[in-house]
Amino acid sequence: MGRMTDELPPDLRAALQALDAQATARAARVDPDAVAARVLERLRREGRPRLWRVLAMPPVVLRIAAAVVVLAAGVAVVSVMRERPQQSAMRLPMAIPAVDSLDAGQLEAVLEAAGEVRPVVDTAVPLVSSASLDDLSEQQLQMLLASLKGGEG
Amino acid sequence: MGAPALAVPADGDLIARYLAGEEHAATELVRRHATALARFIAAQGAPEEELDDLTQETFFKAFRALATYRGGAAFRTWLLAIGGNVLKDRRRQWQRTRVVALTPELRDPSGDPGQQVEAGWVAERLSEGIGKLARLQREVFLMRAQQGLDYAEIAQGLGITEGAARVHYHHAVKRLKAWVA
Repeated sequence: MGRMTDELPPDLRAALQALDAQATARAARVDPDAVAARVLERLRREGRPRLWRVLAMPPVVLRIAAAVVVLAAGVAVVSVMRERPQQSAMRLPMAIPAVDSLDAGQLEAVLEAAGEVRPVVDTAVPLVSSASLDDLSEQQLQMLLASLKGGEG
Repeated sequence: MGAPALAVPADGDLIARYLAGEEHAATELVRRHATALARFIAAQGAPEEELDDLTQETFFKAFRALATYRGGAAFRTWLLAIGGNVLKDRRRQWQRTRVVALTPELRDPSGDPGQQVEAGWVAERLSEGIGKLARLQREVFLMRAQQGLDYAEIAQGLGITEGAARVHYHHAVKRLKAWVA
């Protein structure tokens, strides 16, 4: 019994001593040599520890295995690096040139079909929904005048 | 003047020798720890007729997993933890296949029959109580109270913290004290 039984309450200590006496008597019937023989027999039959098997390999086999691992890792790295440029090319917005080639009418038709119709304005004019003409700068006024002239022409 | 004492190899040396292919080292490890392991399993209510097989199974699993043994816990503590797992798995099998009396009667033919009956009854009562504990409580309790291991060793063997080991032990003692009262 362990020295730790001293810290147990007396009733529990006595019960544990009685239980341990039974357990010890039963354990004494286990023959360690017979157990060892059966365990070793099973290990021979069903396999030894994995590390032992690795260590037991001839050095030549271990070197070949290491070379294969290094080669496989190199192939993996090269293939990943080759894939990356293709992936970034795939991310480019391929639809932009096609949209640019459409005229205003075609673009409106496309947007209407998409349910998102917006007025097409040739020149970039600042939106001044709530501001008056007095709030525009001289340059903005000139751009607005030019766009109005263009619309009349 | 006596003969010089032969140095007793440490468990770690025997393990290294076994891993290097020396089978005799395994036999020595079994000789060294089989009885303590069987005692630990028996105290958890393993039937006597299964004890030999449970001990064998535990050593078999331990030797197969020796490559994963890092030496953090003492070999015996590690072995007891494996023994607990083996018993748990075997209990599941027993529940599926048959009902086994987990605490067979064992009486010493010598000695006072009255005292034997009393001791037998108390032991049986405690065995029932131990069987009702949660697994970690049971193993921590027996590792400490029966095997005499300290909390640090128990914690390393079972893969828990030292604080958790203390808590499990405290709960186990509290429940068992009430059970045997």
